[in-house]
Amino acid sequence: MTSQTSEGISEFSFETKYTTNQKTPLLWILSHTIHQWPYILMALFGAMSNATLASIVPIFIGRAYNEITSINPSLAIIGQFALVIGISQALRGVLQFCRNFGFEIIAQQIERYVRQELYVNLLGKSMTFHNLQSVGELMARATNDVREVNYMFSPGFNLVIGSLNFLLIPLIVGPTYHIALIATPAAFIILYSLTLWHYLNILNPITSQVRESFGNLNSRLAEAIDGIEVVKGNAQEDSEIERFRENAIEYRDASIKQGDVESRFLPLLLLGITMAAGLGHALILLQQGFINVGDVIAYFGTLSLLGFPTFVSLFAYSQISLGFAGARRILELMNTENKLDQNIEGFAQPILGAIEFNDVVFGYNSDEPILKNINISIEPGQTVAIVGQTGSGKTSLVKLINRTFDVQKGEVLVDGVDVRDWYLESLRNQISIIEQDVFLFSRSIADNIAFGKQDATRKEVIQAAKEAQAHEFILSFENGYDTVIGERGVTLSGGQRQRLALARAFLTSPKILVLDDSTSAIDSETEDHIQQAIFRAAEGRTTLIITHRLSQIRWANLIVVMRQGEIVAVGSHEELMQVSKSYQKIFSE
Amino acid sequence: MGFFSGLAAEKYDRQYSDKRLLKRILDYFKTQSKRLFIVGITIVLISVIEAAMPIVVSRGLDKVTQQIISSSLILTLTGIVLGLGIFSWLANFLRRRYSARTIADLIRQLATDAFQASVHQDMSFHDSFSSGKIVSRITSDTREFGQLITLSTDVLMQTITSIILSVVLIRTEWRMALAVFLLVPLLFFLVMQYRHAAREITRDGMRAMANVNATIKETVSGIAIAKNFRQEEAIYEEFQEANQTSFKVNIKRGFILSIVFPTLRAIAGIATALLVYFGAISILEGFVTAGAWYLFLTTVDRFLHPVMSVSSFFTQVQTGLSAAERIFALIDSEHSVEQKGAVYPKNLDGQIDMISVEFSYTPDEKVLNNFSLHIDPGETLALVGHTGAGKTSIGRLIARFYEFQGGKILIDNEDIRNYDLISLRRQMGIVPQVPFLFSGTIEENIHYGCPICDQDEILKIANQIGEGEWLETLPNGLDTEVGERGSQLSMGQKQLVALMRVLIQKPSIFILDEATASIDPFTEKQIQTALDLILSETTSILIAHRLSTVRSSDRILVMRQGEIIEEGNHEQLTAQGEHYAELYNTYFRHQSLEYVEEAKKYVKK
Repeated sequence: MTSQTSEGISEFSFETKYTTNQKTPLLWILSHTIHQWPYILMALFGAMSNATLASIVPIFIGRAYNEITSINPSLAIIGQFALVIGISQALRGVLQFCRNFGFEIIAQQIERYVRQELYVNLLGKSMTFHNLQSVGELMARATNDVREVNYMFSPGFNLVIGSLNFLLIPLIVGPTYHIALIATPAAFIILYSLTLWHYLNILNPITSQVRESFGNLNSRLAEAIDGIEVVKGNAQEDSEIERFRENAIEYRDASIKQGDVESRFLPLLLLGITMAAGLGHALILLQQGFINVGDVIAYFGTLSLLGFPTFVSLFAYSQISLGFAGARRILELMNTENKLDQNIEGFAQPILGAIEFNDVVFGYNSDEPILKNINISIEPGQTVAIVGQTGSGKTSLVKLINRTFDVQKGEVLVDGVDVRDWYLESLRNQISIIEQDVFLFSRSIADNIAFGKQDATRKEVIQAAKEAQAHEFILSFENGYDTVIGERGVTLSGGQRQRLALARAFLTSPKILVLDDSTSAIDSETEDHIQQAIFRAAEGRTTLIITHRLSQIRWANLIVVMRQGEIVAVGSHEELMQVSKSYQKIFSE
Repeated sequence: MGFFSGLAAEKYDRQYSDKRLLKRILDYFKTQSKRLFIVGITIVLISVIEAAMPIVVSRGLDKVTQQIISSSLILTLTGIVLGLGIFSWLANFLRRRYSARTIADLIRQLATDAFQASVHQDMSFHDSFSSGKIVSRITSDTREFGQLITLSTDVLMQTITSIILSVVLIRTEWRMALAVFLLVPLLFFLVMQYRHAAREITRDGMRAMANVNATIKETVSGIAIAKNFRQEEAIYEEFQEANQTSFKVNIKRGFILSIVFPTLRAIAGIATALLVYFGAISILEGFVTAGAWYLFLTTVDRFLHPVMSVSSFFTQVQTGLSAAERIFALIDSEHSVEQKGAVYPKNLDGQIDMISVEFSYTPDEKVLNNFSLHIDPGETLALVGHTGAGKTSIGRLIARFYEFQGGKILIDNEDIRNYDLISLRRQMGIVPQVPFLFSGTIEENIHYGCPICDQDEILKIANQIGEGEWLETLPNGLDTEVGERGSQLSMGQKQLVALMRVLIQKPSIFILDEATASIDPFTEKQIQTALDLILSETTSILIAHRLSTVRSSDRILVMRQGEIIEEGNHEQLTAQGEHYAELYNTYFRHQSLEYVEEAKKYVKK
């Protein structure tokens, strides 16, 4: 399947098994389900026959009763009935397994393909999208919501379809004894549906309330314990305890409310009344000679099959609604649009490294600009330091260069050509951005360094690591370059991760390097390494460094001071020392 | 759901004796005795009704077969069945209502007591118990314990019903009864086998799924960087593998779990068939009536239910009791920091004396040995030294977060153990290395330092820092939401908020563990201003990581392995050229302007 956008263009496409309809959750689920049709047949067959065979027991017990109480009971005939019961139930076991396992396979298959579809879709989304989207939310969709869709089928649909069959059987079997006997099960089904719908309507807001109050309780609890030092330091133990007490009472009240609603579960009462009514009705017909005792037994027995849907309903229906909710969220995510186009015909040349910002205005939405009046002129090979407090717009500024975001007004030029006129791939291939939180995979150090150039030789990797001042600390590990990092391996400090990211960048040799430098070194030896690595990385290419380091600021060719989305000062260190008071302050002791 | 619960239960080593645990549990149950009594009665009622239903129907059938059916018979029979059905629902209604209240209140009580106990514990307790563990005990363990109660009532009801029915069956025809009873151990054995297999595969499955989930997490988080390097295909391969593995593991598990109920159904069905035949023989030989035969047939199912519940009962009880124990362990654990007196300090001068103090966190690692220190009121003291030198311990002992083993600590010449701890701490401002913020607005966080102060005072203090320029960097000024643990703020902003909390508190003693994270130079200056404001009004103990701090302190203590090896101010110690000079060169020099100027040597362009 390809990731389709409204313009039909995306940043990445990959072929997979089949296409789906992404218009509504229902259609989407259906388009996935259709591909599981052999298992659906197996499951449905299992479900229907399960109910049918279940009814064999009361029916044949009824017949056996008639035979036993007849004038000349034949053991042979009773034996036949017993055989029918035995074989049918054994068969029923097999078919019930088919139903269960069939739904299970459907559920797992759909989970697999849905997750795959979501992932391909995410890969195809633009860098803009990924910069705006929180990873936590993506994770929730890819794991929890996909799981909910799985549960929707098994146990959800499994139990619902299974139980629907059980509802139908008394409706079918009753009339075989006497047409009037259809009355009681029919009445039950109608009343059952009504009371169930009513019940779920009342229950749903209450379960949300329970979930919410629990979430509240839990999060404040976690905070108080995490920050216990602050709590104690500020002598706030009593107020925290009071707060917890109140939250706990709220949760208790909501739980009791839920328990009260659940205790009133009417379908259970309905079942009791139905059994009595059915029995009474059958006895009347018996008195009038329309049916015999065996029939009464059989009918009463099939009525008890109604018990299964009654007990199952609570749990199964809510599972299905949760599943659809999850499907809706996943679909919403997949349908979020890609706005940037690749401009395949665009400008594609080796970059020299001149960057220009002309009257740039930028914001995520049109009413709140993050950047205003941005005018900068950078020559090829210059090192530019960008400084400012948090929220001054530094990161957004640099992301305009490789078209992670597009400007709203003004233009950004690379080598004199508007970035929107560049072929996106060519532009991005030659620009490297090293983020604040360096992402490394749970693989070997060598693999991580070579991530951008998979066919790099070990020699090239080592060379890159040396230039990034990482070679020494890599060798300090037992397995050197083959050391696995991450959860299953060693943990690296911020400075070490930064240098690995620099090594990664060295291998791909970008013409423009953007570095978000936010690490700090505790000791001067590490600081020396980091300084060297950064200065080395900036050689021979246009480099923009968002930094706090005074040495980087001091020796940059151009310094850009930002405040609240605007440039308040730009120039060399000497110029700024003359012109800007706040800049002077930084370099005072 | 009876059979499937507790398959993934972890092991927990019980420390409490059963007797002690039961006594603790009974203490809590005592508060709910009235409700429990009602629940008990309803349980018995429901069990009796459940047993009565098939008995009534079978007797009725006998009557119906043997006599002429009169309208009064129909009415009676229908009436009884109707009555039983309604009563059953009513009894269940009551049972659920009262169980819900009992359990909800029990959980609330336990959770509140556990939280209270945790909060009042000292820091050594919180060092050995991760916060995740404590939270889990307060929320999920209490819930698990509640579930144990629900489970127990269910099992009790089913067992009573089965016992009543067993008695009736034996009295009707003991040979057939025995045949039915034989079914129970057979089913039980089968169910236990299944549980064993299911538990194995669940455990394996969980391990496999943990790996898969980790890979999925990584491949999803890594999409942005994969795009950066045009490595989409490579990361897709990795994802696919994990997705496939997840599928295979789950199918295996689904297979095993799908077999259980069908197998039991089939066995019950075959047992029914056998009963039909051999029961018929009994009838023809005059041992039982047809109605009794019918009774046997309909009760086979009833015996099935308890077997399912009881099979998981033992594991569930263990898990439930373990959960209960974990909660009680929390509530009952001892405090190591005990105050002896209750002096309420009004305005401390802030003189601190440590006299021959002995302190270790754990019995084998001594941190402070015969340690003595005198601090004048209003003095600013900086502590420097390598990791593990004992710097943090001093602040922690003065804050009374930990108990020391020997010597004395005096504050304003009064033994620290004689103070009322809450009042004492109100006179102290404590800022840890990573400032902690609660979710809420900045104002709420600052307010935490002085609950009685109003908004104007907060605004005044905020504006003392560089004319409130730092507020402009925030989307909503003081009303900006800081997010969980302050995640929406930068490290520098968090520091400022933490310092402002102290400023508004106006303490006599200030203890600061300086942050080591990199902060932009503008915010750095603002933090400096805030710090200077605090230092001028308090006795301060600073664990120094910033150059400006050591420069401006009245006195610097150089520590090593719990001892003071050098003492003096920055100029004196630098001139001496010994330990301090070495530390300076390692930890502080690269923060100096001298170093900045020297960086020129790296610039080749």
